[in-house]
Amino acid sequence: MSDRIFAAALGIIVLIYGWIALNTIKAPFQYDPLGPESWPQLLALVMLICLALLLWRPDAAGFDLTQPSALRLLAMLGLLIGYALLFKPLGFILATFAFAALNSRMLGASWRGALAFGFGMGVGGYVISAGLLDLNLPDGPLPGF
Amino acid sequence: MSNKTTVILAAMMGLGLAGTAMAEITKPECVAPAKPGGGFDLTCRVVQTGMEAMLPRALEVTFMPGGIGAVAFNEFNTSRTDDPNALVAFSTGSILNLLVGKYGEYSLDDARWLAGAGVDYGAVIVKADSPFQTLADLMAAMSADPTSVVLGAGGSVGSQDWMKAALIAKAAGADPKAMRYAAFDGGGEALAGLLGGAIQVYTGDMAEMAAHLDGSLRILAALSEERLPAPYAEVPTAKEQGVDAVWPIMRGYYLGKNVSDADYATWVAMFTTAHADAGFQKVQAEKGLFPLPLAGAAFDAAVRAQADTLKTLAVEAGLMPAN
Amino acid sequence: MTEVFSGLATGFSVALQPFNLMLVLFGCFFGTLIGALPGIGPINGVAILLPIAYSLGFPPESALILLAGIYYGAEYGGRISSILLNVPGDAGAVMTTLDGNPMARNGQAGKALSLSALASFIGGTVAVVLMTAFGPLLAQFGVGFQPSDYVALMIFAFATLASLVGANPIKTLIGAVLGLMLATIGVDSNTGVMRFTFGVPDLLSGIDFLVVVIGLFGMAELFHLVEQQARGAVKSIPVDRTFVSWADILYVRWTLVRASLIGFIVGVLPGTGASVASAVSYGVERRMAAPDDKMFGQGDRRGLAAPEAANNASAGGAMVPMLTLGIPGSGTTAILLGALLMFNITPGPQLFSQHPEIAWGLIASMYIGNVALLVINLPMVGLFARLLTIPQHYLTPLIAILAFIGIYTIVGNPFDLYMIIALGCMGWLLRKLDFSLAPVILGFVLGALFEDNLRRALSISGGDWGILLSTWESYLLYALSMGVVIGPWWRGRPRRRGEGAADKA
Repeated sequence: MSDRIFAAALGIIVLIYGWIALNTIKAPFQYDPLGPESWPQLLALVMLICLALLLWRPDAAGFDLTQPSALRLLAMLGLLIGYALLFKPLGFILATFAFAALNSRMLGASWRGALAFGFGMGVGGYVISAGLLDLNLPDGPLPGF
Repeated sequence: MSNKTTVILAAMMGLGLAGTAMAEITKPECVAPAKPGGGFDLTCRVVQTGMEAMLPRALEVTFMPGGIGAVAFNEFNTSRTDDPNALVAFSTGSILNLLVGKYGEYSLDDARWLAGAGVDYGAVIVKADSPFQTLADLMAAMSADPTSVVLGAGGSVGSQDWMKAALIAKAAGADPKAMRYAAFDGGGEALAGLLGGAIQVYTGDMAEMAAHLDGSLRILAALSEERLPAPYAEVPTAKEQGVDAVWPIMRGYYLGKNVSDADYATWVAMFTTAHADAGFQKVQAEKGLFPLPLAGAAFDAAVRAQADTLKTLAVEAGLMPAN
Repeated sequence: MTEVFSGLATGFSVALQPFNLMLVLFGCFFGTLIGALPGIGPINGVAILLPIAYSLGFPPESALILLAGIYYGAEYGGRISSILLNVPGDAGAVMTTLDGNPMARNGQAGKALSLSALASFIGGTVAVVLMTAFGPLLAQFGVGFQPSDYVALMIFAFATLASLVGANPIKTLIGAVLGLMLATIGVDSNTGVMRFTFGVPDLLSGIDFLVVVIGLFGMAELFHLVEQQARGAVKSIPVDRTFVSWADILYVRWTLVRASLIGFIVGVLPGTGASVASAVSYGVERRMAAPDDKMFGQGDRRGLAAPEAANNASAGGAMVPMLTLGIPGSGTTAILLGALLMFNITPGPQLFSQHPEIAWGLIASMYIGNVALLVINLPMVGLFARLLTIPQHYLTPLIAILAFIGIYTIVGNPFDLYMIIALGCMGWLLRKLDFSLAPVILGFVLGALFEDNLRRALSISGGDWGILLSTWESYLLYALSMGVVIGPWWRGRPRRRGEGAADKA
């Protein structure tokens, strides 16, 4: 069943992709006979055939995702998005501290361990990356190297 | 050493003229709108090394890749419009992308064109054993049958690399749309294509030819106004061969559009000093660039003049609407 | 040939000076560190550290030797996260995860790491030897490779990879086409037309290969770990003290030879690099194995040794056109070329006569770099392997943080952080539905090369499809493609081989 849902959902995306390839992609002029549109059109066609085959004969037994797992995954996703959002404005040290502490706490570390880990990752990561290896990491409000 | 002292003194005078603005430039930065290692990185290194002595502290080079420069242009039109510390590197290719709308709804007025880092010129290159001995041979072949010659360069249709080929086709009286052209992924691959015989003519740049002056290639023409200094002094220009094709590839810097006049003037003064400095010129030459001693209003005018040329070609090729 | 030996002598006398020797070791060590960050491979490692090397004010040969050390170190550093965490460090390391990570999960992390170091060493050494002996000759071959030949090479690559079909061929194909579709996003490199960018400037130059790798593999692995942990299904891996043995080396000896040669040749071609080299050599090994050999993908030593030897060999191969003709064949060599130019040295045919100490010094330092890597890394294998004993609740955020550092410092664009998260969700979903992720990545890499070269060839011929069958190289590659597709099927019919059972020893 899950295979069928997946195939149908992907099918819709591929239809949109194919529609764009058929209608909006066009070069003012081109030196090759294919142009920018033929290859995506071919891909859309092949994909639709494959998806049709998958719809007709799916194989995955089931999509077993228990509610606690799903919640955990959503929390993880939320944390990652938050980390990405704050990465630049807060700077590497603060954003990493928050993310590492919350994430490790969520996954079962003690509060003390989580905070120490967050501190280590934020400060240590910054010192190694920006100081030792001279990589560009965002400073945020803190003074950088 | 005395040379360096003069530079510093001159720079301080330049700053003095700009008055209170001096305090503003505290943490100079050069944004290369690409990944490390490419042409924009190099552009930033020119100011980093060439102007080291004039800046209040070491200039930091940062990278903002994405969208062939669009991400950086967007950033400096949304969140960092008035940052007096940050120069952004650009090239002729960026101006073209801006014109044809690849950067979105922006125009030439959405940046303060500051100063030149240097310039390179287009070159028309064939293999040493090519039947084309001079530019005239190539012109004759192309005007007889534009499809008889395969040209190639390191950029797609509509890129500034392609425009050099289109310019040659036009000079031969052929329609650029009717020529044969292969787009390669960068100059290195196009050069390999030329040496391997996939293409017959490569419209590249002069500076990258430094490594190839040993006889495996023949440069039919330099697309500069006048002959370039050694080691290119032997290469004739297209103009002196009677073909009106000039193609400078400018490299320079812009500032956000809301940077104050005072800060802009400070930078202009520093660049004016630097352009006259032997140390800066040495760095420029090391990075394979020819001098482009323009800053401030003169540079802005040069950018706009080049934009007009690019626009004419792009409109003719149907790559952008006429207005 | 005497020229070669006297040149090498010059080179070694430069590279073996205590100061330069120290630089190689230092470079290898830092390279390994930086390479271990997902996303930062040799290309970016060298690009990032190049300005530092320049600013230290060393003589050019010393700076280049340092860079060569960093290069080799970063190449190897990328393996650590591929093998231990199933997060490929860079483009060339994707294939390494396929068998390397299962080995680590079977409690053979130490063996996998040391075998990978050895395979890299052998691949790298074979490449340097071939390069020393046949450099100029091969450069001509590489440059003579036409766009139409690249089309044939891509067909060959697809043919060898047809072996990746898992339980369900349709799903493999869907994965590959998905990768091909992702590769079409961005400005078309032939006509400059924007495709599927939806007005987002960040998408104009396409999705960066590293973003796809880190997203699909790294972030997906992260979600997978969280889910496993939520069910309490994470099994702890004991500290293992396994190490590569002579039996292992003997077992993969022919694999190493084949992979090194394939890697070197693919590397010499401008335009294809470590990712294509490792994919083709893995595909070839799989095709060579008996059809009933089910070990591949479960932690087969050949499946680890092949891509490792190949991608190091391709790194050496890529130096050939760069040093002898001044044409960079890959991202990394383009940066090394930039480095040479910074020191006012123009590579090309005259490099060896004008600056023998630099050309040969660089080559000699590659020999030394290979050895240094082995010397530094073999003793550290045990230490790296202990990474797996870090508790899950620290390991998971660690992976995320490393991925963020890697992506942010190279790409420098917060947009790509969202991209890796989105691709991570996609990768997790695909894994959950029993799709294999390798075809997606390979589709992504090979697809763009295939389309660009096909259309480039057709532009050159003015639309005549006959150009695709115009050189002996393309005939040979099409014949080989037929061979790898038909060969195993034909061979598998009449007899069975007992190697599969012997494998488990």
